[in-house]
Amino acid sequence: MTLSGASAAATPARVVSLNLCTDEYLLITARPGQIASISRLGADPQESPLAGRARGLAINSGRLSEVIEQRPDLVLTMGHDPQAVALAARLRIRLIALPYPTSPAAVATQVQQVAALMGNRPAGIEFAARVAALMASAPKAQPGLMIGGSGLAPAMDGLAAGWLRLAGISQQQGGQISLERLLVQPPPMLIRNVYRRGQVSGPQAWSLHPALRQLRATQVEADGRAFLCGGAAMPAEIIRLKKALAA
Amino acid sequence: MKAGLALLCIVLALASLALGPVDLAALWARDPELARSLFIELRLPRTGLALLIGAGLGASGAAAQALFRNPLASPDVLGPSSGAALGAVLAGYFLGAGVIGMAMGGLAGAGISLLLLLALAGRGAGTTRLVLAGVAVSMLLGVAINLALSLAPSPFALYDLMFWLMGSLNDRSLPQLALAVPLILIGIVLLLRAAPALDTLALGEEVAQSLGVGLSAVQARVVVAIALATGAGVAVAGSIGFIGLIVPHLVRPYVGHQPGSAVLPSALAGAALLSAADITVRLLPAGLDLRLGVLTALIGAPFFLCLIMGRR
Repeated sequence: MTLSGASAAATPARVVSLNLCTDEYLLITARPGQIASISRLGADPQESPLAGRARGLAINSGRLSEVIEQRPDLVLTMGHDPQAVALAARLRIRLIALPYPTSPAAVATQVQQVAALMGNRPAGIEFAARVAALMASAPKAQPGLMIGGSGLAPAMDGLAAGWLRLAGISQQQGGQISLERLLVQPPPMLIRNVYRRGQVSGPQAWSLHPALRQLRATQVEADGRAFLCGGAAMPAEIIRLKKALAA
Repeated sequence: MKAGLALLCIVLALASLALGPVDLAALWARDPELARSLFIELRLPRTGLALLIGAGLGASGAAAQALFRNPLASPDVLGPSSGAALGAVLAGYFLGAGVIGMAMGGLAGAGISLLLLLALAGRGAGTTRLVLAGVAVSMLLGVAINLALSLAPSPFALYDLMFWLMGSLNDRSLPQLALAVPLILIGIVLLLRAAPALDTLALGEEVAQSLGVGLSAVQARVVVAIALATGAGVAVAGSIGFIGLIVPHLVRPYVGHQPGSAVLPSALAGAALLSAADITVRLLPAGLDLRLGVLTALIGAPFFLCLIMGRR
């Protein structure tokens, strides 16, 4: 089902989200009582900065088959999920699978579309205005590097890089970053994308490597939870990052 | 042959120390302190771990093949590699343990998997039964790892785990080297000390018994040693398969097909093979990020197949 066709339908009273990123959209646009359930990730404070708004909401495991009994009149998800789309069509459940956004402007458009679906256009307009304000006030971009726990850097032309530009950072490299090269050619500004701090795995131990003590770069921490989707939680994170970068 | 293999290890170690994304000689002229730090904190642990983990896997493979008197026995086939991976995954992700905790988990997993194998096969079990029991244990552990993956706290943690299970020596640290060195070395020394008994065991259990070599005692010693040598390696570098399977076959023709005598050359050949594989993954063009464990499996799986075909 397409969004333009869907928005003409009646305002849904029982909305379900199966995906962390649509959870976040719902949490900032739905009216009280409109959400039947969101995915368990959207309600997990380790996964989403907006989890506080999900208190008291029912959660699902992200599978359509599990939420049928909640009798949703609208199911939202993101990305390619042909099985869910086929099942929804068979059961005549209204399911909208949003495409992955590729820029902050695309996120703003999607939030406005979801707000319209929820019958709460003002929430969408407010979000789009916040993104527009961030675009208008973006500082002159300086080269920098955002890097995740395992040494992976988001793509230079991707969604995360688009948000970083609004904080005044131009992502100078993407992909797997070699620790050696990072130490020898440090970026002027290093943004460490912190996700699930304190949980150790092989790749996450990368960010604890003793050699990183030698790194001669100004470092700022980003909230990795907001960057997981690069969606509804981003404007607040970009304002926080801008302050941290200016400090 | 041992001298030749040792020389090959030295050459590969020097190449491993010299190769990297940064030209260390040029950096030395510009910033000696940083060059020193890169050398000691990044290149040295990587080179040391490749040699050591390879040696541990090679020696474990040779000892496993000698103990089970089966050329298909190896830490991969019999379960300790999967056991170590499962132990480290459980310790790291579900118990929130740090690097040392994961190593302990790896060791415990490798040891428990071998004990489970011996218990399943029963006392004085025939070689076929032992290997079949090993395959069963390996499959069980594989399923348990899949279960752990599907119960991972978040889908993003799942990606972390998957990369970890593919094995890599990328950006390892001195503390990780310091952790693995004593454990793997103790494992290798125990295996070397068991080598004469393993040679005797090759004559048959009754003959060995009459020569004063008890099967249970040798089994216990070798099991503990393999757990130490493979468990510590997996916990630091993730899963690196097939070294333990391939290497003993490469060296056995040169030691008169005496299984116990193959332990030391297998350790050296394992060190050389893993070092060469680790150098190869570093020489691949940028963007082609092939994991070390994937490369060893790419080499090892066809070798395993040839081995089976050759035995028809």
